[in-house]
Amino acid sequence: MSEYLPLLIGLLFLSGILVPVLYPIFKQRLGWVLSLAPLTIFILVLISLGDIGTQTIKLLPSDFSLLPGIDFAFRMDGLSAIFGLLITGIGFLVVLYASWYMKKYNRQAHFFSYLMFFMAAMTGLVFSDNLMGLFIFWELTSVTSFLLIGFDHHLEKSRQAALQSLLITGFGGLCLLFAAILIGQIAGTYQISEIIASGIDFTAHPQYQLIFILLLVAVLTKSAQFPFHFWLPGAMQAPTPVSAYLHSATMVNAGIYLLLRMHPVLSGTILWKYSLILAGVITMFLGAWFSMGQKDLKRILAFTTISALGTMVLLIGVGTPLSMEATLVFFIVHGLYKGGLFMVAGIIDKSTGTRDITVLSKLWKSLPATTIFGVLALISMAGLPPMLGFVGKELVYVAKIQLPGLSWIILPLGVGANIMMVAISLTVFVEVFYTRSKKTTIPIHYTEKKLPWYFILGPGVLALAGLLLGLFPAGLNQVISNALFVTKNHVVDVHLLLWHGFNEVLLLSIFAIFLGVMVFIYRKPVTQFIKKTIKWFDIYHLPTIFMNVMNQYLKIAGKNTQRIQHGYHRYYLITFFMVTLGITAFQINWNFSDLVPFGGFTTIRINIVILLMVSALAVLFAVFSMSRLSAILAMGVVGYGIGLLYLLYGAIDLAITQFLAETVIMVLFVMVIYYLPKFAKLSNKKSRVRDIIISLAVGAGVTIVVLHSRALNNHEPISNFFAENSFIKAHGKNIVNVILVDFRALDTLGEITVLTLAAIGVYSLFRFTVKKENK
Amino acid sequence: MNNNNLRNIILENIVTLFRKFMVIYSIYLLLRGHNNPGGGFIAGIIASTGFIFFAIIHGTKALQNIIKIQPQKFIAIGLSFVLIAAFLPVISSKEVLTGLWIHTKIPVLGELHLGTPLIFDTGVFLVVIGVILTIVISIMEVLKWN
Repeated sequence: MSEYLPLLIGLLFLSGILVPVLYPIFKQRLGWVLSLAPLTIFILVLISLGDIGTQTIKLLPSDFSLLPGIDFAFRMDGLSAIFGLLITGIGFLVVLYASWYMKKYNRQAHFFSYLMFFMAAMTGLVFSDNLMGLFIFWELTSVTSFLLIGFDHHLEKSRQAALQSLLITGFGGLCLLFAAILIGQIAGTYQISEIIASGIDFTAHPQYQLIFILLLVAVLTKSAQFPFHFWLPGAMQAPTPVSAYLHSATMVNAGIYLLLRMHPVLSGTILWKYSLILAGVITMFLGAWFSMGQKDLKRILAFTTISALGTMVLLIGVGTPLSMEATLVFFIVHGLYKGGLFMVAGIIDKSTGTRDITVLSKLWKSLPATTIFGVLALISMAGLPPMLGFVGKELVYVAKIQLPGLSWIILPLGVGANIMMVAISLTVFVEVFYTRSKKTTIPIHYTEKKLPWYFILGPGVLALAGLLLGLFPAGLNQVISNALFVTKNHVVDVHLLLWHGFNEVLLLSIFAIFLGVMVFIYRKPVTQFIKKTIKWFDIYHLPTIFMNVMNQYLKIAGKNTQRIQHGYHRYYLITFFMVTLGITAFQINWNFSDLVPFGGFTTIRINIVILLMVSALAVLFAVFSMSRLSAILAMGVVGYGIGLLYLLYGAIDLAITQFLAETVIMVLFVMVIYYLPKFAKLSNKKSRVRDIIISLAVGAGVTIVVLHSRALNNHEPISNFFAENSFIKAHGKNIVNVILVDFRALDTLGEITVLTLAAIGVYSLFRFTVKKENK
Repeated sequence: MNNNNLRNIILENIVTLFRKFMVIYSIYLLLRGHNNPGGGFIAGIIASTGFIFFAIIHGTKALQNIIKIQPQKFIAIGLSFVLIAAFLPVISSKEVLTGLWIHTKIPVLGELHLGTPLIFDTGVFLVVIGVILTIVISIMEVLKWN
C-alpha cells in the first residue's frame, strides 16, 4: 500500500494548486473536498502500519531527481508513520474546522491554498528519505507558515510576527542546508537510509562539531527552543486553525522529528547530550513558568507548547531507549491535547468574541460539548489518568530519573514544569468553564446549537483519541517499537501501560498534582509574582531586541546601497572599466613575444587601412567635437566602419546587424538630442586627465586581450564543429543563424530575455515620469 | 505631424510604402534566414526601422492604429513562441531546445525542411520588434515628438 505514498503527497500539493479552480465550484464546501486528501493519506498510513510490523523499513525510491543524488525518495517506518498520522489526521480535522472558522474571511481560497501546501510540505518532510528533499520540504514549511501566520496582513502585528518567524526559521533552514551538505560530503550520498547503513562514524569525524552545531541551530529555531522561542507566541497572530495545526503536529515538531531522524547518525556524544539537555530544560521550565502569567487563552497555550517542546528536546538529549519511547509517546500526547485545546480556544473565540480568561466564564452552560472535550484535553495536559497524557508523563518521569548525574537538576525542574501544567489546567478550567464562579456571565454570540457539528468535531475526535489511547495504550506498542528500532538501531520491546502500580514515579506524580493544586489555590499571588518576573525578563524582551537588530541591519544595508548605487553614470562606467581592466591585467600573460601570430602577418589590404583611418579620424573628431550632434554622428561613422569591416571579411550577417543597430541607435539619439541640455564643459581639467588615462588604459588593455586571443588556440576551435554540422544536423546553410537558433539557442533565449528586461525598464522609467508630470 | 499646414504628402506616402516594403522584406529575410543571410534578429530590426520612420512622420498614434496591439504584447507573444519552440521537444521525450524537423518534398519548391528553429526565430523576430517599438514609442510619447 505504501507505494502510493509519493503519489498522495503529490496529490496534496496538487490540491493546493487546484484551490483557485475548485473554490468557485465548491465555495463554502471547499474545506470538505480538500479534507479528503489528508484523510486518504491518514488511512493509507494506518493500513501500511500492518505492513511494517516492528522492524521493517519500507524504502520508496524515486525515478525523478532534481540533480544527481538529490531526489524525492520516500520511506515508511514507525517514526515517519507516527508523525505522518498526526500531521494528516489533525490536518484533516483542521481543514474541516477551518471551513467554518474562515467562513467570513475574504481570501478563503488563499488560505486553503497555503494550508494545503503547508500540509503537503510537512507530510513530505517526515516521509522524505533524502536529506536534500527533507531540506526542501523544511524550507517549504517555513515559507508557507510565513504566509499563514501573516494571513491577516492588514495588521502590522501579523506582518511582524510572520516576518520574525520567517527570518528565524529561515536562518535555521540555511544552517540545515549546510549541515546536510557536510553530511552528504562525508557519506557520499544524501539518502538517509544509505547514510545510516554506511556505518560511518560521524561522531569521530573532525567536522562533527560543526555539523552538530548547524543542525542544533536548525532544530532550536524550528522547534522554538530558548533563546529562539519568542517567535512562537508571536505566531499566534495566525488564524486559530493555523495555530492549532502549527503547534500540535507540524512546524515546531519538525525540529523534534529531525533530531529523532538524525539520532542514529549524530547522537552519542557529550556535545549532543549536554547541549540538548541544556536547551530543553531551560525551555521546558521557562515555557511553563511564563504561561501562568498570561491572560490570552491562545498565549497560554503557546507557552505550554514551548514547554512541551523543551521536554521533548530534553528527552532526546537523555537518549536512553526509555527516554526515546517517552519522547514519542509525549509527542503523540501533546499533539492530541494541544490540537484540541487550540480548536476549543477558537470555538470560544467565535462564540464569545474574546479569549481573555479573566473575562470568560461559565461556558459549561452554553457550550457543553466543547467543555467536555476541552476538559479531557486539559486533563491530558495536566498528566492525570485516564488520559494518554498520564502514560506519557509517567514515562517522562521514569526517563528523567534514569539519567545518572543530571537527574538532581532535571527532575526538580521537570516536576516544577509539571506543577505549572497542573495549575494552568485547573486555572483554565475554573476560569473558563466552571459554572459556580463569581464572575458575571459573558454574552454568547453562538450557542453550541448554532455551531455546525464539523466545527466541534476536531476537539471531540482528538479528546476521544486521547482517552481511548490512555485506556488502551498497548495499541501504540507496535508503531513505537518500530520507531525506536529506527532511531536506536536495535530492537526495543515496548509495553505501554496506564497503571504501573505504586512506585516512586507515581509518588512524584501525586506530589506534582498536590503542589499544582496548591499553586492553583494561591494563584493570585503566584501570577503576580510571575508577572513580576516576566516584567523583569522584558528588559531583555527578545522580540524587540531581534527587531532592533534587524532594523539596524537594514539601515546599514541601506547606507551601503546608497554608497554603491550613487546614480552617477560616469562613476559606474569608471568602476566597471577599472575593475575589468584590473582583473584582466592580473590574469593576462605579459609576455608580448607570442602576440605575433604563428603564420606571420597576412598581407595588408589597402581598403581596410583606409577604413581604419576613417574610423580613427571619426573617433578623434568625436572626442574633440564641441557639438553633441556631430559627436554622435562621428560615433555613427565608427559604427558603420566596423560594419564595413565585417563585410570585407565576409561576415554578412554580422555586418547587416551592425548597420541596422547603428541606424536605430542614430535615430534614437537624434530623437532625444534636442531635449538634452546644451553641450558644456562641466568637468575640470583634473577629471578630464583622469578620464583620458582610463580610456587609453582600457583601449590598450582590450587591444592586448584581442591580440592574445588570436595567439591562444589551445583547443580545436568550436567553429569547425559548427561548420561541419550546421547542414547535416541542423539543416541550415547559414551558420550564424544556425548557431543563434539551434546550437546556441539557450544563449539567444537569455539574450532576448535581457532585451525584454531592458524594454520593460525603459518603459516603466518613462511612464513613471510621465505620470508624475501629469499630476 | 499635427500641424496641417506643414503636411508633406509625398513624404507621408513614401514612408507608408517604405513601412510596407520593410515589413514584407523582413518576413522574407526571416524565412530565408536559415540558409542565407538573414534571420529573426536582423528581420526584427528591419521591420522596426520601417515602423520607426512611419512613427516619426505620422506620429505614434497612427502607428498604434496600424499595429493594433501594444508593442509590449509583441514581446510577450515572441517569448511564448520561443518557449513553445524550446519545450516542444520535451513532448517527444527529447531534451529542451532540441531541433525537431519535418522533411517534405513539394513539387515546385523542392525539398523543404520545417522545424522548431523557425518557430524560435519567429519568436526572436517578434521580441526584437516589440523591444525596439516599446522603447521608441515610450521616448516619442514622453518627449511629445508628434
